[in-house]
Amino acid sequence: MSHTQDKASALKQGVLIGVYLAVLTALEYFIAISFMSVTVLTLVAVVKAALVAYYFMHIYKLNEEHEGGHDSFEYKTGTNRLGLWLFLLSDSFVFGGLLVSRFNLLGLERPHLNQLLGLAVTAVLLLSSFFMNRAETSMAHGDTKGFLNGILITILLGTGFLLGVVGVEWRLAAAEGLTASKNVVGGIFYMMTGMHAFHVLTGVIFLGLVYRNGRNGYFTKEQHWGVEAAAVYWHFVDLVWIFFYPALYLIGTLS
Amino acid sequence: MKKIYSIPLIRGIVWQVVGLLVGIGIVVGIRAAMGLQATGPFLVTEHAWVFGGFLGTLTFLVGHGVMGDWFKWWRGEITSDHHEDKPGWEKYFGPSLDHKVIGIQYTVTALIVMIVGGTFALIFRTELAFEGMQFLKPAQYNTLMSMHGIVMIVVILLGIGGMMNYLVPLLVGAHDMAFPRLNSFAFWIVVPAAVWLLSSMALGGIETGWTGYPPLSANMNLVGQQTFFLAVFIVGWSSVLGGLNLIATVVRMRAKGMTAFRMPIFVWASIATSLIALTATQLIGLSFQMVMFQRLFGMGFFDPVKGGNPVLFQHLFWFYSHPAVYVFILPGLGIVSELLPVFARKPLFGYKWIAMSSLGIALVGFLVWAHHMFTSGMNEYLRVPFMYSTLLVAVPTGVKFFSWTATIWKGKIDTPVPTPMLFTVGAVFVFLLGGLTGPPNATVSTDLHLHDTYWIVGHFHDTMFGGFMFPFFAALYYWFPKATGRRMNETLGKIHFWLMTPSFFVMTLGMMYIGLNGMRRRIADYDPAMGFQPTHFVLTIAGFLIALSVLVFFINLITSLRNGEVAKGNVWNSRSPEWQVESPMPAHNYEHPFEVVGEPYDYGLAGSKYVEFAKHK
Repeated sequence: MSHTQDKASALKQGVLIGVYLAVLTALEYFIAISFMSVTVLTLVAVVKAALVAYYFMHIYKLNEEHEGGHDSFEYKTGTNRLGLWLFLLSDSFVFGGLLVSRFNLLGLERPHLNQLLGLAVTAVLLLSSFFMNRAETSMAHGDTKGFLNGILITILLGTGFLLGVVGVEWRLAAAEGLTASKNVVGGIFYMMTGMHAFHVLTGVIFLGLVYRNGRNGYFTKEQHWGVEAAAVYWHFVDLVWIFFYPALYLIGTLS
Repeated sequence: MKKIYSIPLIRGIVWQVVGLLVGIGIVVGIRAAMGLQATGPFLVTEHAWVFGGFLGTLTFLVGHGVMGDWFKWWRGEITSDHHEDKPGWEKYFGPSLDHKVIGIQYTVTALIVMIVGGTFALIFRTELAFEGMQFLKPAQYNTLMSMHGIVMIVVILLGIGGMMNYLVPLLVGAHDMAFPRLNSFAFWIVVPAAVWLLSSMALGGIETGWTGYPPLSANMNLVGQQTFFLAVFIVGWSSVLGGLNLIATVVRMRAKGMTAFRMPIFVWASIATSLIALTATQLIGLSFQMVMFQRLFGMGFFDPVKGGNPVLFQHLFWFYSHPAVYVFILPGLGIVSELLPVFARKPLFGYKWIAMSSLGIALVGFLVWAHHMFTSGMNEYLRVPFMYSTLLVAVPTGVKFFSWTATIWKGKIDTPVPTPMLFTVGAVFVFLLGGLTGPPNATVSTDLHLHDTYWIVGHFHDTMFGGFMFPFFAALYYWFPKATGRRMNETLGKIHFWLMTPSFFVMTLGMMYIGLNGMRRRIADYDPAMGFQPTHFVLTIAGFLIALSVLVFFINLITSLRNGEVAKGNVWNSRSPEWQVESPMPAHNYEHPFEVVGEPYDYGLAGSKYVEFAKHK
């Protein structure tokens, strides 16, 4: 269990998971350019998602027993945690619906997008998840400075992702004639990236609030539910992109 | 003036109007600056209306103050866990955190909106009484018919929200819901949505029926279509957040000793309902959002010219909208199982089976959506599996019926039968009719004939009345003393029941009769040669009699609130914990927590106990 780990080994674990995720992403890209198999790509995405859900989002914490009474902070945090996960479950149906629509409408075709940019924004989001994990781990060990730095880097990377997708990718696509109203390929591309970008944006705002409150000394080693919530939400946004990236950039042939 | 503005509801609506105007102004300004057309047949283009509607919803919530504590948290302030409500009626117009107040807010809103939806039905029912168009234009008929559908769905969602909010924390022994602020938010977000929904009538109306299928809904040049989509999208959020809150409450806040199989059946039913509301609702939101974007930005999701697929909309839409009918009926069926043992003075037959059957219906309900699409042109190989999965729903539903009959069997029912029991038994009969008329629609060969006829309308009204309306009335008569401290009038209650039930049977059986003979649904007029007119006339009379019976109910409700007999002690001699304390319920529920020491429905067994309250200090 990570909360009993000392800081060094928690940090080591974060680095290790970050490396695994990076290797798997590179593997995805290699599969896509060599022998494009939908099954293998899906499997890799599921493995990545499982790593994020377990090691970054700490899904196992849902199972923790709480000793205090119903009014204790620990018990209430457990309730909050369940509420947040239920919300993510609900939200994942939106993204699931978008994936279903994408495969129903486009089949095994994909939009013509800038592959290098796709890989870059994916890497940026992955890196942001790594720093988010560092921020949360630092807070859990009472290191406020490390926490604030981690959050700040996450915000910067998140903003970078937004600029990459909305500022650059949308512009490039539109310049190549792929507009929202041209055909259903454009419609799906802007809908999926737009919905995801909207979640990234809310995540960045959430992190901004956490950063501000954290600087004012609002969170402590023992009581930092706000930090945990922001982290879990941020990793969820990353988890969604783990499925959206292959669905938009890798799977299928160019339309 | 200042006093009126201090009422949160009024303040919210003022802010909503301001938000709408600001939103419209922003879009018109941007479009004008970009040299695009800014005015349209409804003053401005629908981009402006949609953005204004969205912004107006947010400004309502800010102005109303329901998000006040969250803003404080974001600023790093700490708020107290409970806010004391001021005594009096003002608390019902503001962001109260008490689940009982919120439950009453839901219920009263449901009843008020029910009058609106019922009036729509009476208007177009009168038009249908005679062939030819008498006083409505076809477009008006379409709008009224669509509005009746969606408004009544909102009524049902509000009604079950009311029952679940008021009852579940009491039944599980919690002092409130798990997230009181979210609870209040989930209710208050419905109010701006209801405003947008009704305003769509002034913005050209909706002519697509409540299902809003593209391509029709995407091509109709009416702004009302957009405000309708926006309103349903927002109501969906209420459903999602309410379901989330309820699951967290039941999982985390049960009283000591209340293991899963000692929970009241209504709690089981609420869990099943909430699971559907939490997850599937997102897909109607998504499908409506996609049509909105198709209209606003020309994204061709459902437009075959651009490579889109209209059938995809139906899949996404029904993935919610079929399980949604289980959202509507499961709490009602839970009420039936809850009340029957109380009045029959016998244990509930097959408790575990009943508990699991609610979950069973909810889970199977996720796998049946395409039975609405047998004639839609989807792949034919999908028909048979969806036919069988749909027929499978009859199994858990049959379990419920078996248990109800076995529970009533040789029960000791008081005479004269109390009004809640009348409505409970009425629910069983009406839902039986609704259930038995289901399998013919689920079977592909017969559905090809029945699809889009009045038969479906009759079947649907049977399931909704049996699954929601009758149990809702039963619950209102039953828990009214708990909420208000006064009892409702029994004579008026019986008039309500005996006026409504026969009229209702006449109405739905008549609908099915002309449906089998070929009367199409959703049409404003019919061919006189088909011979439907006498039946339609009878249906209209029956509709007005139902309205009259509901009027009796409202008279009863209002007079009993002021002059009803004071409720003392355990009015119905129930074993349930909320009846072991005084009425109306104290502000923080149970002063002394209780512990569950026995089975919930062991009525009539000597020496059995369900709950034990902690000793007085």
